[in-house]
Amino acid sequence: MERAVPLAVPLGQAEVFQALQRLHMTIFSQSVSPCGKFLAAGNNYGQIAIFSLSAALSSEAKEESKKPVVTFQAHDGPVYSMVSTDRHLLSAGDGEVKAWLWVEMLKKGCKELWCRQPPYRTSLEVPEINALLLVPKENSLILAGGDCQLHTMDLETGTFTRVLRGHTDYIHCLALRERSPEVLSGGEDGAVRLWDLRTAKEVQTIEVYKHEECSRPHNGRWIGCLATDSDWMVCGGGPALTLWHLRSSTPTTIFPMRAPQKHVTFYQDLILSAGQGRCVNQWQLSGELKAQVPGSSPGLLSLSLNQQPAAPECKVLTAAGNSCRVDVFTNLGYRAFSLSF
Amino acid sequence: MSSESSKKRKPKVIRSDGAPPEGKRNRSDTEQEGKYYSEEAEMDLRDPGRDYELYKYTCQELQRLMAEIQDLKSRGGKDVAIEIEERRIQSCVHFMTLKKLNRLAHIRLKKGRDQTHEAKQKVDAYHLQLQNLLYEVMHLQKEITKCLEFKSKHEEIDLVSLEEFYEEAPPDISKAEVTMGDPHQQTLARLDWELEQRKRLAEKYCECLSNKEKILKEIEVKKEYLSSLQPRLNSIMQASLPVQEYLFMPFDQAHKQYETARHLPPPLYVLFVQATAYGQACDKTLSVAIEGSVDEAKALFKPPEDSQDDESDSDAEEEQTTKRRRPTLGVQLDDKRKEMLKRHPLSVMLDLKCKDDSVLHLTFFYLMNLNIMTVKAKVTTATELITPISAGDLLSPDSVLSCLYPGDHGKKTPNPANQYQFDKVGILTLSDYVLELGHPYLWVQKLGGLHFPKEQPQQTVIADHSLSASHMETTMKLLKTRVQSRLALHKQFASLEHGIVPVTSDCQYLFPAKVVSRLVKWVTVAHEDYMELHFTKDIVDAGLAGDTNLYYMALVERGTAKLQAAVVLNPGYSSIPPIFQLCLNWKGEKTNSNDDNIRAMESEVNVCYKELCGPWPSHQLLTNQLQRLCVLLDVYLETESHDDSVEGPKEFPQEKMCLRLFRGPSRMKPFKYNHPQGFFSHR
Repeated sequence: MERAVPLAVPLGQAEVFQALQRLHMTIFSQSVSPCGKFLAAGNNYGQIAIFSLSAALSSEAKEESKKPVVTFQAHDGPVYSMVSTDRHLLSAGDGEVKAWLWVEMLKKGCKELWCRQPPYRTSLEVPEINALLLVPKENSLILAGGDCQLHTMDLETGTFTRVLRGHTDYIHCLALRERSPEVLSGGEDGAVRLWDLRTAKEVQTIEVYKHEECSRPHNGRWIGCLATDSDWMVCGGGPALTLWHLRSSTPTTIFPMRAPQKHVTFYQDLILSAGQGRCVNQWQLSGELKAQVPGSSPGLLSLSLNQQPAAPECKVLTAAGNSCRVDVFTNLGYRAFSLSF
Repeated sequence: MSSESSKKRKPKVIRSDGAPPEGKRNRSDTEQEGKYYSEEAEMDLRDPGRDYELYKYTCQELQRLMAEIQDLKSRGGKDVAIEIEERRIQSCVHFMTLKKLNRLAHIRLKKGRDQTHEAKQKVDAYHLQLQNLLYEVMHLQKEITKCLEFKSKHEEIDLVSLEEFYEEAPPDISKAEVTMGDPHQQTLARLDWELEQRKRLAEKYCECLSNKEKILKEIEVKKEYLSSLQPRLNSIMQASLPVQEYLFMPFDQAHKQYETARHLPPPLYVLFVQATAYGQACDKTLSVAIEGSVDEAKALFKPPEDSQDDESDSDAEEEQTTKRRRPTLGVQLDDKRKEMLKRHPLSVMLDLKCKDDSVLHLTFFYLMNLNIMTVKAKVTTATELITPISAGDLLSPDSVLSCLYPGDHGKKTPNPANQYQFDKVGILTLSDYVLELGHPYLWVQKLGGLHFPKEQPQQTVIADHSLSASHMETTMKLLKTRVQSRLALHKQFASLEHGIVPVTSDCQYLFPAKVVSRLVKWVTVAHEDYMELHFTKDIVDAGLAGDTNLYYMALVERGTAKLQAAVVLNPGYSSIPPIFQLCLNWKGEKTNSNDDNIRAMESEVNVCYKELCGPWPSHQLLTNQLQRLCVLLDVYLETESHDDSVEGPKEFPQEKMCLRLFRGPSRMKPFKYNHPQGFFSHR
């Protein structure tokens, strides 16, 4: 079987090293700018790249439009999580949160606005921050990660107001239940915990792996992804992807997906999920698989839907994971093109 | 009738008067003037209009008379005849009138014609006169223009300007008083001056010619003197040889080499000069020598007279050989190919000695028709090497110098003009002939000062010393590093084939004390086989698996777990790291496409290679990478989370000290080893 061999370019040491870096790059997080025209992506080398979605989606897009507008070294360790406010991009990696101004980032050589580290218990190893969550009503940020705690930080003053303890192993993901307001967190210990922000106490615990329908012991018990729709919650990871009714804590629908899912989100009347395996999966609420759209990375770690009202022409779904590419889906049915670091 | 006859007689009378005997002509002429009845004169007096009326009236009368006669005739009777006779006489009179009128008409006509003719004659005469005058005018005008256009030869001569003339010319020529006013005189004076000047210059020219002749003769004499000097100097040199030897100054030997060097083609000469200079200045371990036959080199450049003699001889030979069979087309083409690929009989040999007494022998050749240089390499070591099976290609003369600079694989000719030459004789590519001719690497061309721009084919041989000099040092250093790294690999391969990863003591700190996984197999793999492997697709797609690389397969085992590692060794090792791709067979097949941790392991070895380089010149990179691979496999197997549903203990109990087993959204295992604390953590 003959494979098409690409022409071997004479490669010096620098080119080989760069090529190897790109091959082993993982993009962990994405975030859309408040104007909706730019996408930030953070990778495992601690770099953040800003892509111009409006340039890449326009009719005169060339190959250079699919490259980042600017790339800079943001953290020393991997950038596991990013989130955007009206004017800032907040990125978190090895134990610290940094804030960047969106308008400043497009210029070269920008510096972070501020950098905060939540108070950790241990000093032997700096725990990573896996998830960031914005709580607009309080104007605060919730961080969670390697030290098994949820920290709340007030965005105006920068002080850490609350610490929520309860998880026995590190936390993977967070979700906000707006009505209450409550925060859901899923972790390596296999439990989804609900916390009331006003009383700072755990209100409900769902131990997913204890339910026989959804547990999959050979994958482990870890909860990798969470999404909530006030009354409903969908979570996945080691156990199967399941839709839960929160008040009764019962699993209502189990989605038949073998590979562990790393990101899940509600979209209109569908549930989109991605994880190990090339495809972005679209599920009906009844549990049927509506579509499986393949991407370009062998495994996906994050999905981002650009629903900013200011840029309706950039309304796309972007998926990134175990490669240096971000797939852009203009229509949920197929992959339009890929942006690349 | 009487009237008729009187009428008749009238003219007759006059006429007969007009015709007297000839003797009395003179007198009668004058008389005639008075008596002569001139009808012409009468005609002048009569009015033509009235004559016309008369004519009409006469015709009418005639008609009337005729009508009356007819009446009378038809009536008949006696006195009719008299009446008719009367009328007849009247008709006759009328006829006479008509006749006269006719005559008058004729006369008038004739007069008119005569007058016209006269006038016409006059006009013609004037016309002729006009023509004559015009012709003369034209002629005169032509003459005038000719005169005006006349250029005298003197105007073609460039005369000096007026001011100069007055300044320079001596007064007896310039005669200012006369010439200022009179342009004619002025021009004459100027011409005179011109003539003077020309005469003077002609004299000077003759003088100079004779000078030149003299000087040429002097030069001839001096040349002869110098040529007689040369044999005497030679004899002095011969005499001084024993003195040189006594004083240990082998000028003669160097001199002999320079002598032979004179016969080298320009690129080899540049290489020789630069290499000798570099050897003397920077690197005492470099030695340069010239090999080959000087006579053959001299024979390449025959003087033209000899070739003419040869032609006449060869003509004679050709006549004989036409009777023999002509060689076949294939043999002819073969001969042409051999001719095109012919090497210059002289070659330059460079010997590079390395620290461990191994020597790299380089022989440089020059292909005359293709205008490129090639090199053949050989490595000899102080002690005899036992070549392990997998190390076969490491030191082979064909590939030891491949890709010294990135991309310089030496299989294609660097001179773009050669392609056209190859097409003529049917050579597809030079790579078929590199084994016998040597490799035409780009750095070889640069050492010989040959510069090939990419666009235009080169016609003339420009051997540039500055190009050679700037590359000499870098290339020599690269050559030495290359030989040493290859020899180091050679030794390491011998050990790897026996399943031992040779880690030197100064690299031990990179790894924990106890490593359980073992290297079981180390073999070479062909390029095509590497490309067929299912877990190497990413490397192939990224263009990192070219055909100039060497490929190997390593197998690491622990218990039931088998880890296959496909290795790409770039000829630029160790500045360019080897690239590993892994495939683990344990509880299913795991590669970087379905297991994030395998991807992390590859990253540890490929991307973080700089930690594993060890002390310069980092010959330990490959072995350190292999040892790290074993450590990574240990960590992977021991930190695998236990599946509660399956009975039995874990196959690999955890022995490594780890702070945390999983970290981050992709749940990475702790692959980073911390020294000297000895625990594993995450990057």
